[in-house]
Amino acid sequence: MAKTSLSRLFASLSEHSITKPSFTGSRSDSVTRPAYNSVTRFVCSSAQETQLIREERSNEGDREAAKENLESVNKEEDEGEDGDHVNKETGEVGGPKGPEPTRYGDWERNGRCSDF
Amino acid sequence: MGQSYKQAIWVPSVTFNGCLQRELSWSCGVSKFLQIRLRYALEVAKHGSVAIITKAEPHESNTNYAQGGVSAVLCPSDSVESHMQDTIVAGAYLCDEESVKVVCTEGPDRIRELIAMGASFDHGDDGNLHLAREGGHSHHRIVHAADMTGREIERALLEAVVNDPNISVFKHHFAIDLLTSQDGSDTVCHGIDALNTETQEVVRFISKVTLLASGGAGHIYPSTTNPLVATGDGMAMAHRAQAVISNMEFVQFHPTALADEGLPIKPKKTRENSFLITEAVRGDGGILYNLSMERFMPLYDGRAELAPRDVVARSIDDQLKKRNEKYVLLDISHKPREKILSHFPNIANECLQHGLDITQQPIPVVPAAHYMCGGVRAGLQGETNVHGLYVAGEVACTGLHGANRLASNSLLEALVFARRAVQPSINYMKSSSLDLSASSLWTRPLVPKSLGSDVMHKILRITKEVRKELQSIMWKYVGIVRSTSRLQEAEQKIGKLEAKWETYLFEHGWQQTMVALEACEMRNLFCCAKLVVSSALARHESRGLHYMTDFPHLEESKRLPTVIFPSSHTTGTWSSRQLHQQPIVKSMV
Repeated sequence: MAKTSLSRLFASLSEHSITKPSFTGSRSDSVTRPAYNSVTRFVCSSAQETQLIREERSNEGDREAAKENLESVNKEEDEGEDGDHVNKETGEVGGPKGPEPTRYGDWERNGRCSDF
Repeated sequence: MGQSYKQAIWVPSVTFNGCLQRELSWSCGVSKFLQIRLRYALEVAKHGSVAIITKAEPHESNTNYAQGGVSAVLCPSDSVESHMQDTIVAGAYLCDEESVKVVCTEGPDRIRELIAMGASFDHGDDGNLHLAREGGHSHHRIVHAADMTGREIERALLEAVVNDPNISVFKHHFAIDLLTSQDGSDTVCHGIDALNTETQEVVRFISKVTLLASGGAGHIYPSTTNPLVATGDGMAMAHRAQAVISNMEFVQFHPTALADEGLPIKPKKTRENSFLITEAVRGDGGILYNLSMERFMPLYDGRAELAPRDVVARSIDDQLKKRNEKYVLLDISHKPREKILSHFPNIANECLQHGLDITQQPIPVVPAAHYMCGGVRAGLQGETNVHGLYVAGEVACTGLHGANRLASNSLLEALVFARRAVQPSINYMKSSSLDLSASSLWTRPLVPKSLGSDVMHKILRITKEVRKELQSIMWKYVGIVRSTSRLQEAEQKIGKLEAKWETYLFEHGWQQTMVALEACEMRNLFCCAKLVVSSALARHESRGLHYMTDFPHLEESKRLPTVIFPSSHTTGTWSSRQLHQQPIVKSMV
């Protein structure tokens, strides 16, 4: 079994990176920020920055309460998918409530990834 | 990318007037896209009879989390060239440029047809399509559909398929081997043998054209997003039928699937397919730790948890192999509780059900195999080197994905190639003829009734253990970070394991032509695992999804697809030979 030198792996992995490492500060290519293009708005709508359109208030430290919250969030999410929901930021009709599913590059709903 | 699907093969059945018709490919994808396949079945059925053979149920069952979309150039500010460029960059420049051009060019029309058909994709308040932007795409070009509409269209189409007198759906039919013959140096496909897993009867389908749309082989690995049916049946059958296989080394893993081993309350039964934790958890500040609570990502990349997904996957893999551990930890508990619960209710709920509160504790995660970029080599019409055999979807290697798949391109590939395969297969069908009596030319597979239930029980038990062992070898030696010595070790171990398994079977009375679901799946898994190992050993560079510690760089001279030609039928294991004898026929056509 080949032993991998950590430094060689690190160097090799870096070479595969798209951009130079940036430990703190702004995000790099690993994150896709949707851009808003006024020219294309007429023909197609674009996704916006991360948004939270509802705040969740949960009771302190109680597992049952947490469960209730989760159930109600999921219910709200399901109701939103009936097609009437309009995203105020992007104008998307019938789309998902909550943060933009592709805000970090993959396709995410409620924390679960279904495409990347 | 479909989260759940069933193996499906479309084969034209023989009608009573002896006139053989066309066939079509059908694979289950994400439910709202199953409609595409069904729609084409209906189209083709106007001209003749079609048999849809599916391993389990034809309908999609996991729609509750199947989201995502399909990519296409549908915006004036976007361009085919841009989509092509994104695809080629993601594919690490190993893509077949013609395939990329065809898919990116024809994709928009395929989407428009879907819309004309009634598919309702999300739109803006101005009525135009809402296009999302996934990682790797330089423009917004992901169309996505509301669940309700997709389900309704699928239901309507399925009903139409069921009611169409020219379409027969054979569910719970497991495809065993393609029926082929040699015509000079050409191999010709004449149909398929299948096992009705409900009645334990073998059914032989004679057809002029066969299309495989059987999906991937995620279950060669222990942790995979693929449903249980994804055991590489189509790839294995095609390989045994002398089809050329390509690029099997490029297996896409997702870095963070929920690791059931790390949950306080283990799931009662083994999860069918992995629950992927979104990149958004890392994006929102989640930190990765090994089981000693050391934060390891900074050792691998300056961007730490925000490094590209492939880097994260390799880093996690490296940690697990070095430390001989089963999972790492993804901790978001330092973030505000309300934010965690509102952003990630699905994960929170799933973990809570298994005794873990993600607002207090880290989430156990492990990489999961997700998609195979390689497969049966296909031309621009979905044709293979076996006459009369076509492929579409994940089972195929069209050259679109190259060394790494761009998000939402797999559905697009399926849309475009499924359509492209129709006319050529019709033309082929019209130009060939097949005598129905050819059915007797191949030895019939045999159900192992004669072995008795005790022996069968032993065989099933051993097979289950062997499957786990194979998956363990693949994960340990053919994972995300590879090396020549590890791959060679995998080759040896798999060879020994296969020999041990086959010896056991044959010692207990199993015969060459016997079939049972689990045994046939096992032989397909062995076949695909070996194809992945061989392909990985052949690529002496690191490119896209294939990373070798002893060849850590890209080599321009190696920017070529990996191609596996069929091996001789006189040697090889049970997994690498078709069950029946191949007839040598002077004129089958």
